[in-house]
Amino acid sequence: MKTLLRLTRLFRPYWRWMALGTLLALVVVLANMALLGVAGWFIAAMAAAGAAGGTMNYFTPAAAIRAFAIARTGGRYLERLVTHEATLRFLAGLRVWFYEHVEPLAPAGLQHYRGGDLLSRIGADIDALDNLYLRTLVPMAVAAATGLLAFAFLSLYSVPMAGIDLIFLTLAGAAVPLLTNRLASRPGARLVETGSRLRTAVVDTVQGMAELVVFGAAEAQIRDADRLSLELIADQERMSRIAGLGSASLGLLTNLAVWLVVLLGIVLVRRDEVPAVDLPMFALVVLGSFEAVAALPQAYQYLGHTLAAARRIFAVVDAPAPTPGPTGPSPAPSDHGLRLRDVSFRYADDAPWVLRSVDLVIPEGHHLAVVGPSGSGKSSIVNLLMRFWDCDLGEICLGGHTLRDYHSEDLRRMFSVVPQRMHLFNTTVRENLLVANPQADEAQLQAAAAAAHIHDHIAGLPDGYDSYVGEAGLKLSGGQARRLAIARALLKDAPIMILDEPTEGLDAATERRVMDSLLSAATGRTLVLITHRLKGLEHMDEIAVMDEGQIVERGTHGTLMAASGRYRQMHEVLTAS
Amino acid sequence: MNANLWLKHARTSAARPLRAAVGLGTVGGVLLVVQAWLLARVVSAVVFDHQSLTSVMGLMWLLLGVFAARAAVAWLTEWVAFRAAASIKLQVRRQLMEHVRAMGPVRLIGEHSGELASTVTDGVEALEAYYARFLPQMSLAVLVPVAILAVVFPLDWISGLVLLVTAPVIPLMMTLIGKGAEALNQRQWRRLARLSAHFLDALQGLTTLKLFNASRREAAVIARLSDDYRRSTMAVLRVAFLSSLALEFLATVSIALVAVLIGFRLLWGELDFQSGFLILLLAPEFYQPLRNLGTHYHARMDAIGAAERMVELLDTPPPAAVGGGVPFPATRRVDIEVRDVRFAYQTEHLALDGVSFDLKHGERVALVGPSGAGKSTVINLLLGFIQPAAGSILVNGRVLHELSPEDWLRHVAWVPQRPRVFHGTVLDNIRLGRPDAPLEAVREAARLALADGFIEALPEGFDTLVGDGGQGLSGGQAQRLALARAFLKDAPLVLLDEPSANLDMESERLLNAAVERLATGRTTVSIAHRLNTVRRADRILVLDHGRLVETGTHRELLADPGLYDRLVHSYGEAG
Repeated sequence: MKTLLRLTRLFRPYWRWMALGTLLALVVVLANMALLGVAGWFIAAMAAAGAAGGTMNYFTPAAAIRAFAIARTGGRYLERLVTHEATLRFLAGLRVWFYEHVEPLAPAGLQHYRGGDLLSRIGADIDALDNLYLRTLVPMAVAAATGLLAFAFLSLYSVPMAGIDLIFLTLAGAAVPLLTNRLASRPGARLVETGSRLRTAVVDTVQGMAELVVFGAAEAQIRDADRLSLELIADQERMSRIAGLGSASLGLLTNLAVWLVVLLGIVLVRRDEVPAVDLPMFALVVLGSFEAVAALPQAYQYLGHTLAAARRIFAVVDAPAPTPGPTGPSPAPSDHGLRLRDVSFRYADDAPWVLRSVDLVIPEGHHLAVVGPSGSGKSSIVNLLMRFWDCDLGEICLGGHTLRDYHSEDLRRMFSVVPQRMHLFNTTVRENLLVANPQADEAQLQAAAAAAHIHDHIAGLPDGYDSYVGEAGLKLSGGQARRLAIARALLKDAPIMILDEPTEGLDAATERRVMDSLLSAATGRTLVLITHRLKGLEHMDEIAVMDEGQIVERGTHGTLMAASGRYRQMHEVLTAS
Repeated sequence: MNANLWLKHARTSAARPLRAAVGLGTVGGVLLVVQAWLLARVVSAVVFDHQSLTSVMGLMWLLLGVFAARAAVAWLTEWVAFRAAASIKLQVRRQLMEHVRAMGPVRLIGEHSGELASTVTDGVEALEAYYARFLPQMSLAVLVPVAILAVVFPLDWISGLVLLVTAPVIPLMMTLIGKGAEALNQRQWRRLARLSAHFLDALQGLTTLKLFNASRREAAVIARLSDDYRRSTMAVLRVAFLSSLALEFLATVSIALVAVLIGFRLLWGELDFQSGFLILLLAPEFYQPLRNLGTHYHARMDAIGAAERMVELLDTPPPAAVGGGVPFPATRRVDIEVRDVRFAYQTEHLALDGVSFDLKHGERVALVGPSGAGKSTVINLLLGFIQPAAGSILVNGRVLHELSPEDWLRHVAWVPQRPRVFHGTVLDNIRLGRPDAPLEAVREAARLALADGFIEALPEGFDTLVGDGGQGLSGGQAQRLALARAFLKDAPLVLLDEPSANLDMESERLLNAAVERLATGRTTVSIAHRLNTVRRADRILVLDHGRLVETGTHRELLADPGLYDRLVHSYGEAG
């Protein structure tokens, strides 16, 4: 309920559209009910007049019938336009709202959602919210209003008759859907589960076909998928029976309501409490009123899905900002040197420490390499420098001020980064590069790409820099994507460079050339190079060796090789065996 | 084959339940007419014949009986239609999976597994609404209105005429407007998909956007795109909803027309009330099946969309069956001769261009060369996944591609570059090749593969669920799991594709030690990415552009300046 209220608060900017849409939907149902009712009364009255050999004023009812028919038709068209307009406006606002709420959280607050699946589920969740208004709230509001208006109208003639209609409408519109939903909740959950197991089995079969064949397990795997397919059908059959039961009882309840109203009507007619010619009208008005509850079973289903989706969305949005910004303006850094003082850090309170009392001084213009086995905490330093996370103990300073004093945008303006994982957007090569610097001109673009040794490849593509990359476009190899990321970082002219395994996935020859470009671009800038490869470190001003979150050794290539410590040991493992 | 045709063809397997569903739907239609007649009779008797409740009570009970029968028939129809669709779905899914299997490992590499999986799962599900709802409704949309006309015409030909004239206009209008709207709709769907994809892309790339201070800019982009989408969608909907406007208009206005016409004929005494009321009751029901058809129309579009993907898959011919029927008796000794083998995946480009070498029992051979040199092709040939276009491969003197593949593969263990961790327990994963292997043997294999350490550290040890939706394993762990698989299979020929990505030092050490053990006493061919492996090889085969350019030991090859020498130097360090 709280979720629903919170969701409806998001509706506020669009409430006029939404109210208008609901009103039109109500008009459509009422017009039909009125059309049927008046038509029933009209023919009975005309027949009675004809039988009595008299005449009657047929202009008014005939005109009313036409008017209702037109109200129904036009109302339906307008209703659909207005409700869709409302939904689309709401969805557009919702996307921006969600994005704006999530943006400050990334990536620390989203670390649980890193898998593409979870994120795409969030995307789907947002799309799912369009059902809330269109398929849940409108039908429910219309059903409630119709029920009450039908009750009010019928009670002009007979309160018990009005009561019968209302009771059966409630049964059909609330009791039956709730009951079937309850019946379906467990098989429904199992259905989802079986479906995802089947999907897993199919993906396993496709991706693991070679191993399945070599190990003689293909037959068993296919059988397994077939078994799941059968299981899925069995689950669906259970659901289908429940759904069938629901729709059959909806029909039955409609008919029973008509039956009881006719029965009561006959009694009332015989007692002369109502005119006999009204009897067909009662039957048809009751019949018409059930149109309002027909969409409700579906509405409940959507409600369940939508609320679940909304809860997931709120859970994401409600996470506190991981790195709150300062209140005042950012200070002016005295230079672009970095200092880590006794920094300790872990990703969660119950997670192991990834950095333990790390001390580093990187004066402006210095080049520092951080080396160590994977998992030693190297990349966490990047996360802290970018203020994606804050350190738990100690302090990090840039230009004499703690990072916490900078607004994150001012801070990141000073860094040019090649992170370990760089996202390529589903757009053109050009757009992907321009992310780094929207003002860059063609020459700058090509220079950066050339320095990353990717220009020739891009130029060779059919659409050159306007070729689409990413999921929807061209598949780039891991190495090509990496080089595009490097080009992107080179395009951003910032005083501090951070390179996290920049040449991962590149072949040896390209690696060397790209590294040379990067180092020459870094001339005069502060550089932090993070790597587990020990090549080309001879020119670094300092090398810090990390292991298990601590700096175990530091010095230049020469002094470290001479010291015969961990660095030398690592060198030997990689070079000789 | 055309998707539409294929859909029609697929329904033959469920012809009987589909006919039953239509039959039941027709029975439901007839019951509906009976119900309307009874109601008209009762009301007419009370209003115009001044009958008492008791005298119509018999008819009222009958009416109640019809209600019950209609509910039962409705429920049964739903069930039968479901059964029909279910049997088709099951059969189609089987056909697709069989086809996937027939495509074989090499052909599947180029397929998008996610897309394929959604064709087999969601795609097949999309057929349900078509077979269970749209198809029966197609027949009912003709049968029920005809039945109603048959009742109405004798009672009042004018009303009958109104219904008859408007009825065909509805499907006609719907198809006319529907076709145009459908194209617009499809375009709109693509736009929505693009919008959703863009949004998802922005979320996934949020960290990158932040790095470049581009994340706030992006909010404006999302707002603009969403608004553009709204505008263009509404432009489409204004037209698309015209079809429902037309439908609604015809149905509603003709009911109104029928009511007014009946009213006047009643006033003039040309019709009795019971008939008039019956017609009024039947008029909305006359249009109902046509409306239902409209609401299920998108089911047809969805099914055609899904069928197109299926047909596309099924039309991809599986590669010619590889392997023959010659039995290959179990042996612990495997000697292989590769004689002047050529192979091409596509006709224009030779992947292997006359390669010859021998593999002696117990020998360790490393394949090196730049990517695209043909290393994987050699492995695929040895696995028997593909057969040489020219030349031959002899195993213990027999031609490999004439052997029964099952017999041959019993002698081969394979550890790919990125081993697949199947959904299931660790235990199931290791005994992939021997589902009945005793636990002790599995433990021993894991121990030999140096995988026991991490397996026992998992929450439930060997019973831990891994793979999709289970515990995640690191690259190094998956490799050792695959090695355990190979140890358990205990085959005389081991094929290895080393991981090219960098493992951390500990993983690398464990992996090397385990591979070392696996190679002992077996014939081993590995695609080598590490200096370590090539040094230990008895022989190194250097491939380039599908040719064997150098062969020898590490030391011998280094003595000659050639491709190997260059490759080793670009690894960074030479010995």
